[in-house]
Amino acid sequence: MINFGFSINKPRTIDIDRNNLRKSNEIMHEMPELQTCIGCGTCTATCTAGNLTEFNFRKVHTLVRRGEYQGAYEEMNKCMLCGKCRLLCPRGINTRGVVMLIKRKLGDF
Amino acid sequence: MTFFAKFCIPFIVGAVVMFAIVLIKYFSWLRNLPKSDLKLIAKGIFTPRTLAAVWEIVCESLLHRRIFRVNPRLGYMHMSLAFGWFLLIAVGWIETVAYLGFEWVPLQGHVFFKYFVPLNGIEGHKPVFDFVMDLLLLFVLSGVGLAWYKRMRSRALGMKRTTKHILFDRIALSALWCIFPLRLMAESITAAIYGGGSFLTGGIGTLMAKTINADILTLLYEPAWWLYSLALGTFFISMPFSRYMHIFTEIPLIFLRHYRLKPTAKEKSYDNFEVEACSRCGICIDPCQLQLQLGINDVQSVYFLRDRRYNMLQQKIANNCLMCGRCEQVCPVGINLNTLRLNSRSSMRNIPNEGRYNYLRGMDRSQGEGKVGYFAGCMTLLTPNTLSAMQKIFSAAREKVWWADKDGGVCCGRPLKLTGEPDSAQKMIDYNKALFAKHNITTLVTSCPICLRVFREEYDLHGIEVLHHSEYILRLMQQGRLSVNYSTDATFTYHDPCELGRGSNIYDQPRAVIEAIGQLMEPAHNRKNALCCGSSVANTAINDRQQLTIAQGVAEELDATGANTVVTACPLCKKAITRGATKQVKDLSEIVAENLK
Repeated sequence: MINFGFSINKPRTIDIDRNNLRKSNEIMHEMPELQTCIGCGTCTATCTAGNLTEFNFRKVHTLVRRGEYQGAYEEMNKCMLCGKCRLLCPRGINTRGVVMLIKRKLGDF
Repeated sequence: MTFFAKFCIPFIVGAVVMFAIVLIKYFSWLRNLPKSDLKLIAKGIFTPRTLAAVWEIVCESLLHRRIFRVNPRLGYMHMSLAFGWFLLIAVGWIETVAYLGFEWVPLQGHVFFKYFVPLNGIEGHKPVFDFVMDLLLLFVLSGVGLAWYKRMRSRALGMKRTTKHILFDRIALSALWCIFPLRLMAESITAAIYGGGSFLTGGIGTLMAKTINADILTLLYEPAWWLYSLALGTFFISMPFSRYMHIFTEIPLIFLRHYRLKPTAKEKSYDNFEVEACSRCGICIDPCQLQLQLGINDVQSVYFLRDRRYNMLQQKIANNCLMCGRCEQVCPVGINLNTLRLNSRSSMRNIPNEGRYNYLRGMDRSQGEGKVGYFAGCMTLLTPNTLSAMQKIFSAAREKVWWADKDGGVCCGRPLKLTGEPDSAQKMIDYNKALFAKHNITTLVTSCPICLRVFREEYDLHGIEVLHHSEYILRLMQQGRLSVNYSTDATFTYHDPCELGRGSNIYDQPRAVIEAIGQLMEPAHNRKNALCCGSSVANTAINDRQQLTIAQGVAEELDATGANTVVTACPLCKKAITRGATKQVKDLSEIVAENLK
């Protein structure tokens, strides 16, 4: 197969009613500006770590908000906290704060 | 002579408790020092550094020289209290020796000498001591008066804001303020009854004797000494738990500092000396831009150190700091505020998984070949004008360059370190170090001051000279490899990036480069007092709007110089200031590239 440099996620469904949203709600409570995210993916496009590995900030924080915590902590730790995403975010979201908050909240998962 | 009266009990209890607690603190801090620190002490103790430390103690702990630099009146206030009280104790001791010879006198005998030995009429009365002691008491009282006045109008002493104190500090403060007026009263009543004293106590005593009935004076005599002793006892007992612990902490701290002990990115016992040496004078509050421009009132270094000392530090307080270093610049005790801030962040994090960042192994995206390496850094990659300007400069100087991260590289590690993850940062450091070594460069140029600082402080790059692009460009110009056009019409103002100025002590090189191109106009705050752009990677607590407010404040000041172009030497500062500026904002390399001959 030709390698085009990108891949497609397997189709699956997230059942928000079944997921435990306690941590997610805590995160949204502490960082309400995350609700203004339009999912444009600029953060991921500029990401230093994302340029070198499969790390995808938009994907991780979106999944965490939906209550999908599996593996999110280790994935988030690929972030180098360089802060480029924060400068580019069109909604001015404190992305570095989001990374640290998710790491703190999910540290024991 | 017995040298004991019942009223001495509060004083004796206070003094014993205070010295016991202070000694316990010293002992436990010193015992927990890591071996490497103990070795440093052993190495330094019998060298001239000990003498230098003693001299600094005289200058700082007694004379408070650094506070004089902040404001002379504020300096006088602190000096009169510290140096005045010290002299009162020292001259008081000499006085007892002069009267009694080298006979052993208990502590309270020295302190309440006037009570035990009413001097009038005894043989060999030495009025010179009465005079000197009165003069010193007046000296201290003038300081107490200024301190009272400062509570009402702090601006008169050069401070816009003073510290909000907690209960223990208030108790200690009230006791301290009472000590000297009560001493004046006790000694004056003694002089009224027995005579003696000089212009101050003697004068008030004579007045009292004239106006107040002798029976009432006798009745007041003991209670006056009781009150004085109680004030002393209260102060001594509250001292080790309050801000006044700084009196006895600063002294060992100065010694340890002269033996080259330093706080590190991880907490250690030495930090206790720095944390408790904070006198909560509040000089750090005024320069803080979070206070100045955002009205945030509870995160400044004085509150951070207080919370840390009493183990009630919250993460949101620890995280809310730009680490611009403006407070460190003015701290009269010279506490390493930024390092303490970041190592308390680190103590709130998990220990990283060893396998994390394994994906870095073996990666190499560098391009080109040359003895000179160029590390753009994440932020320069976001400001491509800087990158292309550097490219132009390199080719104009005919320099062969190895590009470390033109196509995306690994972060330098400083952002992780600043947010309290030194272990993760170490992985980046190890990776980049190996990369630099592999390509045999002799000079490493970076246009990002954040990277520059970590390269210089943490990387140990043996045989590789690390230069900021401002230093590198100036060197090329001095060597004649680069020449630029000078124009009198071009006016520039320069913003000192925190990491470059206060962080790496580079102030003159960028200015020299700018002055070769046009006229430089300095903003109101520059060099060591320069403002922070507000986008510092050290702060993860403030939001976008708050960052913008700070940036607008800085941009306004830069615009006020009337210069056509705002120049800075940090890609992050450039991004931040551009958002608030009305004039064009350029990196140093851009104006050089535009004006190449």
